[in-house]
Amino acid sequence: MGEGMVFGPGALAAVALYLFSMIGVGWYARQKRQTDSMADFYLAGRSLGLAVLFLTLYATQYSGNTLFGYTGKTYRIGFEWTASVVFMFSVIVGYMLYAPRLVTLARKEGFITPGDYIRYRFSSPVLTLLSTILMIYALCNYALAQLKAMGAAVEGITDGAVPGAYGIVALAVIMVVYETLGGMRSVAWTDVIQGVVLLLGFGILAFLIPIKLGGGLENVVAKLSVMDPPKVEAPNLQGANKWISYVFLLGCGAAIYPQAIQRLYSSRSVKVLKRSLAIMAFMPLTTTLVALICGLTAAVVLPDLSKGESDQVLARLCALVMSESMLGYWLVVAVFAAALAALMSTADSALLSISSMLTKDIYQPYFRPAASEAELTKFGKISSWAIVVLLVVVAIGTEATLVRLLELKFEVLIQVVPCFFMGLYWKRLTAGIALTGMVCGLVVALGLTVAGKPLVWGFHAGVLGLFLNAAVCGIGTLLKPTPAS
Amino acid sequence: MNESQKYGELVTEPRKIGYIWLVYLLLYAIAIPWYWPAHYRGPLVLGFPLWVAVTLGAVLLLALWTTWVIHRYWLQAGEAD
Repeated sequence: MGEGMVFGPGALAAVALYLFSMIGVGWYARQKRQTDSMADFYLAGRSLGLAVLFLTLYATQYSGNTLFGYTGKTYRIGFEWTASVVFMFSVIVGYMLYAPRLVTLARKEGFITPGDYIRYRFSSPVLTLLSTILMIYALCNYALAQLKAMGAAVEGITDGAVPGAYGIVALAVIMVVYETLGGMRSVAWTDVIQGVVLLLGFGILAFLIPIKLGGGLENVVAKLSVMDPPKVEAPNLQGANKWISYVFLLGCGAAIYPQAIQRLYSSRSVKVLKRSLAIMAFMPLTTTLVALICGLTAAVVLPDLSKGESDQVLARLCALVMSESMLGYWLVVAVFAAALAALMSTADSALLSISSMLTKDIYQPYFRPAASEAELTKFGKISSWAIVVLLVVVAIGTEATLVRLLELKFEVLIQVVPCFFMGLYWKRLTAGIALTGMVCGLVVALGLTVAGKPLVWGFHAGVLGLFLNAAVCGIGTLLKPTPAS
Repeated sequence: MNESQKYGELVTEPRKIGYIWLVYLLLYAIAIPWYWPAHYRGPLVLGFPLWVAVTLGAVLLLALWTTWVIHRYWLQAGEAD
């Protein structure tokens, strides 16, 4: 990512200071813990207030992919990627469909993980285990993508002096240290810093890139209309289908990300949660839209990059800004800090969620049913380190042929959606029907992907799987005989 | 304040109100650009081609609608901070 964007000693020291401040926050969070319970470690004692909850939701939802992936995608396809503004908003609509009922239930029953809800609702160990495995798999891939991007970032700013592998190890260690020190409290509080840095970074980008490099948005669009007209044109019908598919993929998938569900569980009160979600509804217009504008500016300022190079357009634009003035240089340092913030805040949240699910949904029911809360919390911390080691090894040593399999996240995750969206409201949806739907959805999603058809008529394989999954749940429930009483 | 006061029973929730979802459907139908002619660009509005400006305007309306829906239709008994 850091093509031509090399930091001097001062900037590197500032970035290092910023990173180590995270460990300070983790240590402080540890001092603030109230008990050794899982609710305290994984949900910050269900005590998150408005500012912390909003910023942790924000920093977790907007990952490194928003900064780098979305600018690169816009560079390649132009305004058609306005779809990203629509689908990132749709995550909030996804919450509207199930969150009010789930958070009420979660408080009453003391849920820690999404698996707790599935176990409570369906009383099915098989369905709970399969759902948990799917969620862990999706989150591991999510964290893995962030780790890989961290390595590229460190290699870039040090001009290769620090190899990517070292960058991955160093940042992963910092992350797991503050995470195991204070659990959700650490992660949420570091998210406050990271969320503010991220908001600041997007603010700087909104001003810096189109105005300073492109001469204003109107100028950028006028030039792009001449240079590459399709990038300014409305999509065709198949393109519009893809927008609809993305709305389902993200609106359902990102809304039931385990780390997102655990943030719903962690709010201090329903009022705090409602306000946080209301603010989140506007964030695509301040975040995703900025990434879109940066990608368009790059298409004008840096035309003719290859597909691989296009994922580095933001770094290349930053390199141009850095070379112009000292102010530009330090603004880019701030943007880079925002990029690290985006990567780490997403990865640490995923890591904490994986650790909680391994502990609460696998270790406790299958290995230590009588374990104390303190023992489970300790196991959770140890498992965090084990997961990080595993993910770092995979991130450093992944072969290219495995990449597509490792990219599968939402396709797999959204097959759990009917358990929440339907299970919370349809009393007659049984574990057997939900499990059948989930398996059918997975077969379609994975089958189409393996067959080299990740998109059919513009719809993602996972979304087609979800349609079948939901249809099985719907028809199965309707055909089920009504109970006598 | 105890837990049950903070998270009492749900009084209303958006999921149960039909017209909320009709409005969502309408706004999504505007936000997703399926209805423009092939290769349409349109005049620039605030720097954006018209079709993009319409989509962004619809997303703004969606966000405002969501804020109102949360405020008006997600109500919990004894709701307090």
